[in-house]
Amino acid sequence: MKKPLIIIGIVIIAIVLYFWSSYNGLVTLRENATAQWQQVETSYQRRFDLIPNLVESVKGILTQEQTIFTALADARTRYAGAQTVPDKALAAGQLETSLGRLLAVIENYPTLKSSENVRDLMTQLEGTENRISTERGRFNDTIKIYQVAIQRFPRAIVASLFGFEKMEYFEAQAGAETAPKVDLQ
Amino acid sequence: MKKFTPILTGLFVFTFCLLSLSSVFAYTSPGRPTGFVNDFAGILSLQERQDIETKLLNLKKETRVEISAVIIQSLGDETIESYATKLFAEWGVGDRAKDRGLLILVAIDDRQMRLEVGYGLEGPVTDIQSSNIIRTVMTPAFREGKYALGISGTVDALGAIIKNSPEAAQYSVADLSIRNPANSNTDVDFAALFFFVIIILNMFARIFGKTKSWWLGGVVGAIIGAVVGLIWGFVFIGIGAIVILTILGLIFDFIVSKRPSDGKDHGGFWPIFFGGGHGGSGGGSFGGFGGGMSGGGGASGRW
Repeated sequence: MKKPLIIIGIVIIAIVLYFWSSYNGLVTLRENATAQWQQVETSYQRRFDLIPNLVESVKGILTQEQTIFTALADARTRYAGAQTVPDKALAAGQLETSLGRLLAVIENYPTLKSSENVRDLMTQLEGTENRISTERGRFNDTIKIYQVAIQRFPRAIVASLFGFEKMEYFEAQAGAETAPKVDLQ
Repeated sequence: MKKFTPILTGLFVFTFCLLSLSSVFAYTSPGRPTGFVNDFAGILSLQERQDIETKLLNLKKETRVEISAVIIQSLGDETIESYATKLFAEWGVGDRAKDRGLLILVAIDDRQMRLEVGYGLEGPVTDIQSSNIIRTVMTPAFREGKYALGISGTVDALGAIIKNSPEAAQYSVADLSIRNPANSNTDVDFAALFFFVIIILNMFARIFGKTKSWWLGGVVGAIIGAVVGLIWGFVFIGIGAIVILTILGLIFDFIVSKRPSDGKDHGGFWPIFFGGGHGGSGGGSFGGFGGGMSGGGGASGRW
């Protein structure tokens, strides 16, 4: 009978469907990761927009901390010039370090801490830092899902056939997550 | 029997691929929501709980904003920020389209609280406002152990902000397609799919009609379910499709096999793996949250 032929036909259709769905699935995963990176950049932008306000409201009192302000300004410029994801991540990490130092300094000035203006700015910055870490975490999650999808057999075949390349994780910079100690004397 | 081996092999490969997509959560969920108020630490009295629940229900009716008040005993190893974001995403507080949801999270042992603001409310409910509510409403009440009062006052304050904000009705910051990948993947050619289905049904009708047994239809149904799941690239749809199509396949084969034919007599000793029920749990009056997301907005505090 023709039963073997029919079964071969079914298998071929199944394979075609599999390739089709794998390809679409991989495209979706890659786009998710790209879209999620946009979310990270949006929260970075939010941070950059806040920093000048914060600097403006504290620099009158923190006259001897000029190096921090310079470092902050430098990091901002570098971020603005960065094009690729790793470059941006690096510049953002440097900015984080300077910002951490500034926040630590502010903590040590009771007059600044009690100012309503500074307090509100700090609240906004905290919120922004939390958004950044949330979106960054989700970015790495989407990258992980994509990474697994393109490397796992049998999808790996589809991935290599259609040129789905590896994407970079966002690596937090060493030391960026811990705020540095500030010695006032 | 030999000719069914490729089908079964394929079936296992598909199932394997489906399962490979499921993600792992690092935090431990406190459980499922049983209402807008979820007191996992057993702090609130029944009356207090109901009062806040009513307030939240009315607020939802009025503004369509969903607020969940959650009291947990301990955060474990998580920070309150990441716990809140993960819980928010797990329960999906707020509507799916605009993410207008809020989470009031209180961790008793850690003496910490957080207001987590959904994407769609980040405009009306700013971090500064959240922080103000925590500092002026929650903290003083919690210090005196008046948890219900603090939460109730927070709900009032949030309700006032939302009602006074013209934005709150329509505001939407990030209408991402990320959180429901199904949306971005519906460009499947349905005409072609329909065509496929007709051809395949035709073929199956011939095969199934020849066999007296009716289980093969179920197996093939499961395979098609797996394929559908792969096309949509979504685990739960895949599992649902497998279950439904298995049953449909069984019925289909059963009907076709009823007709007299000259097929050989098959033993039918293969067990049916995929016919198992998938118990869904029904909710009471609380219909569950709408599938909203948050992105770490809001503020935290300690008391």
